[in-house]
Amino acid sequence: MEYFEPKSIGDALSLLSKHGAEAKVIAGGTDVMVDIKFKEEPGALVNIKKIPSLAGITERGGSLRIGALTTIRDIETSALVREKLPVLWDACRQFASLQVRNTATIGGNICRASPSGESLTPLLVLEANAILAFSDGERSEPFKTFFQGPGKSAAGAKGLLTEVDIPIPPAGSKGVYLKHAVRGAMDIAMVGVAVMLTPDAGKNNAQDVRIGLGAVGPTPLRAPKTEALLKGKALTAALIKEAGALAATEASPITDQRSSAENRRWIVEALTRRGLEQTWKAATGKEVA
Amino acid sequence: MSVKINTTINGQAVSASAEASTSLLEFLRDTLEMKGSKLCCNTGECGACTVIYNGKPINSCVTMAADANGAQITTIEGLADGDKLHPVQQAFIDTGAVQCGYCTPGYIMSVKALLDRTKKPTQADIEEAVSGNICRCTGYNKIVDAIHLAAAKL
Ligand SMILES: Cc1cc2nc3c(=O)[nH]c(=O)nc-3n(C[C@H](O)[C@H](O)[C@H](O)COP(=O)(O)OP(=O)(O)OC[C@H]3O[C@@H](n4cnc5c(N)ncnc54)[C@H](O)[C@@H]3O)c2cc1C
Ligand code: FES
Ligand code: FES
Repeated sequence: MEYFEPKSIGDALSLLSKHGAEAKVIAGGTDVMVDIKFKEEPGALVNIKKIPSLAGITERGGSLRIGALTTIRDIETSALVREKLPVLWDACRQFASLQVRNTATIGGNICRASPSGESLTPLLVLEANAILAFSDGERSEPFKTFFQGPGKSAAGAKGLLTEVDIPIPPAGSKGVYLKHAVRGAMDIAMVGVAVMLTPDAGKNNAQDVRIGLGAVGPTPLRAPKTEALLKGKALTAALIKEAGALAATEASPITDQRSSAENRRWIVEALTRRGLEQTWKAATGKEVA
Repeated sequence: MSVKINTTINGQAVSASAEASTSLLEFLRDTLEMKGSKLCCNTGECGACTVIYNGKPINSCVTMAADANGAQITTIEGLADGDKLHPVQQAFIDTGAVQCGYCTPGYIMSVKALLDRTKKPTQADIEEAVSGNICRCTGYNKIVDAIHLAAAKL
């Protein structure tokens, strides 16, 4: 296996072009090292951690920009993220263990494109964009189209994710991420649900509701029908019940060693309801009627 | 392809070469013959291989040895001062938190990192600090007792 530590994005892109499908980017390595030990070694390993300015969290013109090499722990402990992007913060604090969070990067989580990846449904509901570098230039790709299947993304084999650009939701908007797994720590999600709710000015109705479903399809999903059902309405117990059932139909889960498809649908239903109750209460100060 | 690694382990400069695919754990155990950090799951799940990397606890089995370049690493071998055990090590003995002992070095490194971060850890801090460490002999209560004792002594 050949090994490279490019010092710039340009150098990294030339290496990826030159080595083609043989090359593998490595960031934190929490996915790649396990693959090297238990599956196979790539022909060439391109360690991007020596590229300066790929890590960090900055606020810029109504967005938070998070560099690809920012660790999950740095996101979890960022006061800025906790205040402005609670749904992403909530997902990062439920991610693996402290040891893994200290090493794992958000760029690796995104480019792994696992349907259960913890940061992915929050990025979908935040309507964030991936900033991708290719040898012929940079491009901004919405996460809605970025994820293309398990392990497949718009970064492809020759692109590099440099940053995530996350529009800051309106003040007053609340978000939660609910993870269902066998153990609290150190477990891959059986189902993950991200809910973001923005109230109207009088805090009487849900002006905007966004729901992201993780680990229940080939990519992380939004639940557009459920969102449409709720938009502009005051959330009642009956409406939330209907929304949960509808969200379960929008998921397309599979059966695997972690859970059956049927069980996953039930969990989607339960977590969607719980997420709506929690965000409604947090955003309006009212109990669900 | 072999990679040259210049790093600092337990305060001492170390220079050695390793294959690019080598994990930091393999580098410590096999290249440097430092067997204190334990190889168990080799997939980042059990914490037996925990070391402190630039002040932070990490799983050395899923970290590239090449990433040790320029880093400050503390392993279990770096805690005792000659024959005098580190207070965290002593606390594990005093509370009987060690059974087979295989998980112990990893726990001790997680706890050392915790007590470096905060002198008065809450129950939540403790749970977070060792949530990535598994003990198959399952004496978890005594491990928590050891952490409280170590915090009181430090
Ligand atoms: C024990 C354990 C527990 C875990 N628990 C969780 C969990 O609870 N939730 C969760 O979501 N994940 C979990 N993971 C998976 C993993 O930790 C995450 O996916 C992590 O975010 C990967 O980041 P990394 O920096 O370690 O990636 P790496 O392993 O370095 O890379 C991952 C993938 O992304 C590519 N890549 C990395 N960075 C870039 C970039 N900037 N541009 C283009 N491609 C890139 C790599 O080529 C590779 O395909 C766990 C892993 C382990 C070992
Ligand atoms: S051996 Fe590294 S976490 Fe288990
Ligand atoms: S003491 Fe045996 S595994 Fe923990």
